Amino acid sequence: MERNVCVVAGGMSKWGVRDGSQRDFFQEAAKACYEDNPALNPKDIDGLLVASAYTERTSYQTHLAPLVAEYVGVKPKNICARVELLCASGSSAIILAFGLIKSGQADIVMVAGGEKLYTPQKWEIFYSELASVDHDWDGSQGLGLPPPVFAMVAKQHMKQYGTKKEHLAAVSVKNRRNSAKNPKAQFQNPVTMEEVMKARMIVAPLTLFDCCPITDGAAAIVLAVEDKARALTDKPLVYIRGTGQASLNNMSANMPSWTTWEALKIAANQAYTKAKVSPGDINVAMTHDCFTISEIIEMEDLGFCKKGEGGFFVADGQNDFGGKIPTNTDGGLLGCGHPFGGTGIRQGIEVARQLRGDAIQQVPNAALGLTHNLSGFIAAHTVLIYGREAV
Amino acid sequence: MSIPGINVLDGKYMITMDLFPQQSKEFNQIHPFYQYLREGRFTTTKCKACGAEPFPPRMMCPECFSTDMEWIDWPTVGTVIDVTEEVVGVPLGFGRAPLVHALVDLQGKKTFFVRIINCKEGELKAGDQVKLSVFEVDPVPQEVGREVVEIPRVFYAFEPLK
Repeated sequence: MERNVCVVAGGMSKWGVRDGSQRDFFQEAAKACYEDNPALNPKDIDGLLVASAYTERTSYQTHLAPLVAEYVGVKPKNICARVELLCASGSSAIILAFGLIKSGQADIVMVAGGEKLYTPQKWEIFYSELASVDHDWDGSQGLGLPPPVFAMVAKQHMKQYGTKKEHLAAVSVKNRRNSAKNPKAQFQNPVTMEEVMKARMIVAPLTLFDCCPITDGAAAIVLAVEDKARALTDKPLVYIRGTGQASLNNMSANMPSWTTWEALKIAANQAYTKAKVSPGDINVAMTHDCFTISEIIEMEDLGFCKKGEGGFFVADGQNDFGGKIPTNTDGGLLGCGHPFGGTGIRQGIEVARQLRGDAIQQVPNAALGLTHNLSGFIAAHTVLIYGREAV
Repeated sequence: MSIPGINVLDGKYMITMDLFPQQSKEFNQIHPFYQYLREGRFTTTKCKACGAEPFPPRMMCPECFSTDMEWIDWPTVGTVIDVTEEVVGVPLGFGRAPLVHALVDLQGKKTFFVRIINCKEGELKAGDQVKLSVFEVDPVPQEVGREVVEIPRVFYAFEPLK
């Protein structure tokens, strides 16, 4: 018999420039997750996957999963390991937990992800990020920290499709407005179009509010096999319906295109096919808005609008509440911040809340939700589709 | 109070954190790339079995999986497609802002996104030509037997062709 996999609980620590250590944030996230569903007994969790990218570098800690298990009070017996795919570590761990439960290797798996990125000297993380790309060939060109990469993407997209700086700014205004209503988000204040347009230059055409920040924090979500999930909650069940993860290149010189993300199209197609849905069926999406231009290209390559029309689509409010596909309803990376291992889990939690009907800013009658992460030098893409019904 | 070992806040941190690749034969089997770089040559590996020229250079052909690879020279002059100038957030070790990068068509071999040096803000534009520029970087203190030997290193960027 087919084993369906459901989300049964989720919670986050406060995200931002935080006081505290990585292990502190994992406890805060677990506590919020347990409070989200008091019927869940953490002692019944039989698997733990921990997502963290910079744990060795900024927390000097490897073998992280048993440490997190000890601190959050779970005793896994089927899996207890860490997963790393930089910005997509969290969603990668959710995919793996899904596969383990579906195949019968585990019944209830916690996926916890997070980072302490700021060290006593803040410059260090900017420097450490040279490891995020191919260190020997791209990092050594000073391309670890991604603004130059996405500035070049934006310049090419503008040249090719007529995308405007105002289009980029519209993404930032929307996501900061959403994060201002999310108490866990890094940024609690909205920004105006004028403020975004006049903000200080980082790498032209990207100004300050086009770029997501560096963030400390963690998030945790619990997945369970359907019969156990049903016993744990009276709320509508949220099923994982389909997943895809693709990579076509790593070093920048091998990227097929700077403005069409071919690996994203492949990952999305895999997820849509397995979920038996099409882009037009999706009601709410959390996409990887590490930069404003990213969300614009993601609207196109996820199939929510035609290629090249992403800028006009977002400027027209089509990916806001009331539009075709409300996107980053909790504030996204631009508003919530981006502790790498935590991000995919935050997205999963927000989509689950939207589908359960108890999101802070609710999309009416949302039945199908999508999450997307990109990672590295736009080198891998990860897509999950959640639904209120099993496939 | 002095602390035994390397004082990480005393100018040694950069080396410990490896800004550039390890280039000695003990730590890198494609070390000839860096030897050729010293001679002003930009090289990669070509597969003798199927003729593929993958970049970065490597031990095994990603197309036919042969390990029979040879070193070949690639062009050292390319044409700028577009330019970015990072004015805030330049990582330590990459000089003062702006940190300039360009998308460079290396005569059809590959499109590289590379650092541009010896270039003033606003100087470079699409259509300009850039050439390979090799520079010395921090040596690595490497243990050789009981001695610690400073292993010299080089790296590359591109610069405007004047």
